[in-house]
Amino acid sequence: MSQSTSRSPIDVESLVENFNYRRVGKYALVVLFLGFFLVPLETGIMTALKTNSAIARSLPFAPPAGEGFTLTNLEYAFSQLTNSFVNSLLMAVPATLLNVLLASMAAYGLTMVSWRGQIAVFALFLVGVFVPYQAVLVPLSQFWNNMFPLARMLEPLFAAIPFLQGGHSRLVPLTITHVAYGIPICTVLFRSYYKSLPNSLVEAAKIDGASITKIYRRIVLPLSLPMFGVVFIYQFTQIYNEFLFSFTLITGSNHPAAPVTLILPAIGSSTEGIDFGIRMSAAFLAALPTIILYVAFAEQFAKGLRTESG
Amino acid sequence: MGRIQLDHLTKRFGETVAVEDVTLDTEDGEFLILVGPSGCGKSTTLRMIAGLERPTDGNLYIDGDHMNYRVPQNRDIAMVFQDYALYPHMTVRENIRFGLEEEAGYTAAEMDEQVEATAADLGIVDLLDRKPGELSGGQQQRVALGRAIVRDPEVFLMDEPLANLDAKLRSQMRTELQQLQADLDVTTVYVTHNQTEAMTMGDRLAVLNDGRLQQVGEPLTLYHEPANQFVAGFIGEPMMNFLHGHADDETFTGSGLEYPLDDRLADAVGDTDELVLGVRPEAIDVRRADEATGEREPGPHEFRMQVAVSETHGDQNVVSMTVDDEETDHDALRAVTDGMHVVTQGDSVVVTIDPETVHVFDGETGETLCNRLLETDPELAAVSSN
Repeated sequence: MSQSTSRSPIDVESLVENFNYRRVGKYALVVLFLGFFLVPLETGIMTALKTNSAIARSLPFAPPAGEGFTLTNLEYAFSQLTNSFVNSLLMAVPATLLNVLLASMAAYGLTMVSWRGQIAVFALFLVGVFVPYQAVLVPLSQFWNNMFPLARMLEPLFAAIPFLQGGHSRLVPLTITHVAYGIPICTVLFRSYYKSLPNSLVEAAKIDGASITKIYRRIVLPLSLPMFGVVFIYQFTQIYNEFLFSFTLITGSNHPAAPVTLILPAIGSSTEGIDFGIRMSAAFLAALPTIILYVAFAEQFAKGLRTESG
Repeated sequence: MGRIQLDHLTKRFGETVAVEDVTLDTEDGEFLILVGPSGCGKSTTLRMIAGLERPTDGNLYIDGDHMNYRVPQNRDIAMVFQDYALYPHMTVRENIRFGLEEEAGYTAAEMDEQVEATAADLGIVDLLDRKPGELSGGQQQRVALGRAIVRDPEVFLMDEPLANLDAKLRSQMRTELQQLQADLDVTTVYVTHNQTEAMTMGDRLAVLNDGRLQQVGEPLTLYHEPANQFVAGFIGEPMMNFLHGHADDETFTGSGLEYPLDDRLADAVGDTDELVLGVRPEAIDVRRADEATGEREPGPHEFRMQVAVSETHGDQNVVSMTVDDEETDHDALRAVTDGMHVVTQGDSVVVTIDPETVHVFDGETGETLCNRLLETDPELAAVSSN
């Protein structure tokens, strides 16, 4: 009897030896947090895939069974969001690209080129990071509507572009606004990266006769590609998810230029109440572009974070 | 072409003075070495010549042109950095080509040809399509050199280029660099903290300490006729022995040592009270006590000492000795003896210091009062001691 237990494949003795309350506590905490973060997500996905009656009858996080499963929520949400996806990307992609490029140039000028007063200018950038969006909404709408009505000026031009309407011209001031407000934080991010690059590279290029612009184009820009990945992902997510500026400059969900964030609050709600299936479907579809971006750039993202800290 | 003049050059960083009032003149095609301990201002001086630092005071001329406000791009110089500073994202070919692109008057084909030729000179043709990260330290060093010479500049600047190589490669590159410099005949300023490198490579050395120029001269001049105690101690390995003490009645009294000063030394000392005697380790004669004098009392320039440590180098031995009947724990003298002449720890020895080989320094200022006599050219020594 005793022989057979000692030969059993599970080494009970060592399991007991390793058992202690600290370990148990640690794993319990991990499981708790895992649930905390994953259950809402799982519930959302399940709800998106259920019919209304299934949502009412089953537990929120239970998977849809048999008759309760449907794809109509997703189809409906997608048809509602198609236009706004185009609008959002039309605005967010150029805004992010411009933003990242300008911020990297600004950081280069503030870090690797020495000139009088650069600390003061950098201080301005730092202040820019802390300006709350809410504080500038009124001046912003004043500026773009009364002082410099760029959207109205560009309306005929946009009306002439196929697949777009004149109203899409409102995306231009929105894009510019995002570029302006994104530059400070992106500049700070780039600056910390440029500080970590060895100074001798720039010095060697200077001695090789390269001008300030050539040093940026040929040395600094290629070397900061990992950081471009990081800042691009970060800034794209910011701009894509932003609501207040869109709401101020485009005004409503029924405007032809409305981006995703303006459509999302209105979708799935009607006089009969809120359709949770449609809401959840729309939310996941809206999150899709940023998720794809993270997956596509995951490697570069990790690399950029590593080099930044190292 | 390529003559560099530093005229009372000074660089301050805030309150700290990095380089103070350095005046220096190179000849065309000269290999000048800036040497000194870390933080002595040699790199800052080089960076001022390169245009990477702007002088606080004084003037800098290259080839007669005033350079103080000229950016490095317009100075027609090339520099090799201590960390090589190769562009990590470019291949070796692109690295070397980069500087050429800014030079006027090359077609793309000529540039490629030039790169190939330079690579062939340095024996790195096989590496042209690799990235710097895939190269060994020595190979990176060659690429950095290639990047500098491909542009055929007026002046080469080198900031401790051999510091990151292992000892064997370093001595090999030392020879190659010398050869290269001689072939190209381009004025070169070379910074190092390594006095062996300085002694072996340079046409002339400029010794810096605390931002001040101590002495400029040919290696052997600095070795035999140092201008002050710092230069005497810095040049030469193992270091010159220094004995601190006073002069009384033509006799030098140090810790546990009395050394009679002959006429030459006594004249040079004059009224100076605080003295430092300097003797090169290789000028000290060491014999085992039983062989040397037997029971005879030691002569005026002989001392009985005890061997504390004997380092064997093969070709020579470095012997550290303490004064015989003295409780001091520090070594009084270090001597270099012939490789076959072995003494061991604890041996009693008799040390002879020939007065002709003695340098005398002012104990307070460190200035040289008198340098050793040279057998080959005693007149020269006599001139410099005045």
